[in-house]
Amino acid sequence: MPNAEIRLCNDCISGLDSLGIVRFPGLVLREHWFFPILRRSRLRVSRFALALAVIAGTVLFGAHVWSQQPVTISFLLRAVEADQMRGLAEQFMAENPDIRIEMVRGPNAADAVENLYTTSFLLGDSPYDILFSDVVWIPKFAAAGWLLELSDRVGEADLADFLEADVAAGLYQDGLYRMPFRSDMGMLYYRTDLLDQVGLEPPETFDDLIAASQTIQAQTDVDWGFAWQGLQYEGLVTNFVELVAGFGGFWIDPDTLDVGLDQPAGVQAAEFMKTVIDQGISPPGVTNYVEEDSLRQFENGNAAFLRNWPYAWAEANREGSPVAGNIALKPMVHAEGQQSAACLGGWGFGISATTPHPEESWRVVEFFTSPGPMKEFITEFAYVPSRRALFTDPDVLAVFPHYEQLLEVAETAIPRPPVGQYAQLADILQRYLSAAISSQMTPEAAMQAAAGESRRVLGVDG
Amino acid sequence: MVTKDYIRRRDQRTGWLLMLPALLLLLLVYAFPILRAFWLSFFIENLSTNLEPVFTGLDNYGLMIQDGRFWQSMRNTAVFTVFTLFFELILGLIIALALDQAFRGRGLARTIAILPWALPTALIALAWRWIFNSEFGVWNDLLLRFQLISSPVNWLGEPFWAMVAVIAADVWKTTSFVAILLLAGLQSISQDLYEAHALDGASPWQSFRQITLPLIAPQIVIAMLFRFAQSFGIFDLIQVMTGGGPGGATEMVSIYIYAAVMRYLDFGYGAALVTVTFLVLVAVVGLTWLYLSRLRAKTE
Repeated sequence: MPNAEIRLCNDCISGLDSLGIVRFPGLVLREHWFFPILRRSRLRVSRFALALAVIAGTVLFGAHVWSQQPVTISFLLRAVEADQMRGLAEQFMAENPDIRIEMVRGPNAADAVENLYTTSFLLGDSPYDILFSDVVWIPKFAAAGWLLELSDRVGEADLADFLEADVAAGLYQDGLYRMPFRSDMGMLYYRTDLLDQVGLEPPETFDDLIAASQTIQAQTDVDWGFAWQGLQYEGLVTNFVELVAGFGGFWIDPDTLDVGLDQPAGVQAAEFMKTVIDQGISPPGVTNYVEEDSLRQFENGNAAFLRNWPYAWAEANREGSPVAGNIALKPMVHAEGQQSAACLGGWGFGISATTPHPEESWRVVEFFTSPGPMKEFITEFAYVPSRRALFTDPDVLAVFPHYEQLLEVAETAIPRPPVGQYAQLADILQRYLSAAISSQMTPEAAMQAAAGESRRVLGVDG
Repeated sequence: MVTKDYIRRRDQRTGWLLMLPALLLLLLVYAFPILRAFWLSFFIENLSTNLEPVFTGLDNYGLMIQDGRFWQSMRNTAVFTVFTLFFELILGLIIALALDQAFRGRGLARTIAILPWALPTALIALAWRWIFNSEFGVWNDLLLRFQLISSPVNWLGEPFWAMVAVIAADVWKTTSFVAILLLAGLQSISQDLYEAHALDGASPWQSFRQITLPLIAPQIVIAMLFRFAQSFGIFDLIQVMTGGGPGGATEMVSIYIYAAVMRYLDFGYGAALVTVTFLVLVAVVGLTWLYLSRLRAKTE
């Protein structure tokens, strides 16, 4: 009988005698399930115990060795940036042998990285100790409770070194959740040669910009006055943020959750976008422009003014560019009696709320955001620092002489509203702004509708 | 008789036993998520509640009725589904009829016909995005060369044309799937029927109407049901080609659900969107099934 059992079982495994299984399935199953296993386990119990002991020993020994290994601090970032930051990470590890930095190379699209972070935090036990984050992700992640509050770890004096807007952008309900690393801000680029040719000063106000554009378009062979970003995407929002502040208004007040879109300044900002298109100052295709499209118009000499980020400077001044040496930058134009505003972008660090190594994580963040490494990084890869002193640092100025003017722009920077529902609110604004500038709605109606929906999302109806 | 019954019962029991793991797996991966989403749709769970579920009954559904973006995405999904199904059926049938004929290189032609369907959608979508690019796209270049248009059309930037573009891309990609299914139906029709019909003096068109169409009706229905479910849940193609733009003109329900859950972390509302989408899907499939069984009852 035991022989028969084993034979049947082997047959099941090899599948040779399928006939028996089909004819008497119940019988075969029962025998297969119980007897052979019992029999085998009796025979092999000692060998099994031995194997178990070996495995347990290995695990215990491994754990012992592991506990003396350096702590690994891991974070996810776009692959290009991982390559750029490798040098700093190696420098840190050489100075701190007890910490190993693991930079996980993510996709090069920022929103794909955001999704990966979101998924890993949603699972509750994030594999990432640090968050390397676009400035606009911070409020959402903080509101979800995924980030560690950093106020206790950083001194007031050190924070005062950073650009005001860079610090403000890391605040969520009075808690600090982000250490700024590299900054970014929008500004107005202009063609010095064209302004000289028509004998005008760089524009200060919205009206100046329109007048100068019209003069240049009439008196020179330049086709367009003002190039900006009008596609329905985050860039459109950053353009709007600068305009609405320039008209003396606001989008959302993070403290009171007031929505300012349907107030005069909000409507004026949307109307300005529509006006420059209608009057032929901006190309009609601007409603589909992202940064590259508008920059191409400007650097090919087709537009006199450009709203863009700091990277455009090097692009437009590169060798062979038709406008090289003939461009300058200044803070964005504003309404009479109001102030310029630059929309803040940029990247910084947060620390995961669930990391088992908050101390070590902080040491990594502290290192990256300290003056020395930041200076090294921004000079090597042509980024903008978030520490004020670096804009006027002689070594930095030696490489990027225009950072002195850039500081002027940086001082006018304002963050996008740090509220938890930012992504939703930005989508609403994008949709209605896009509808307004593509003539599907009047600017006023669009801003009223956007304000209504924004209030619903924020739960401040009425 | 008794032993026969006994054997049958035993076989049945064994059958169930063998199916049990698969059934449990199906319950786990299909029924559980659907019921969980349904349950979650009665809660508000988003950033305003610190991601804690707060029971609010039908509030999410009330919000949905007022939500213009939801209705727009539903409308877009319906338009997309109807037009892709229509063109895929017509073109698929034509291709299937062509491939059913005997000609040299038929095997090769059949293989090539299935290729678009076998390629990954995300890559196809990327290719079509470049084809429809307003400045560097092949499509505009062709139209300009043949002087069918005088200035480049911004295919993916205009609401109407963007919808046309994504429909065209989907039709290109999945017509072959319909064609292969219909081809299988065509091949099951005996040639004798056509010969007999022709002897009776029927024209090819009459043969097509009276023999081909009725006999491949089951394959048509199966193809349409498959395509309906896929079209209604289309995500990858749209996400890569337009991201739902411009101005939400090509935003499908699946894209909106993705935004609500992944970007807004609004799980309760996302669950309500999922539930409604699921019910619409089930309702359409159910109605089709009902209609078919009525039809079958009538013909019998």
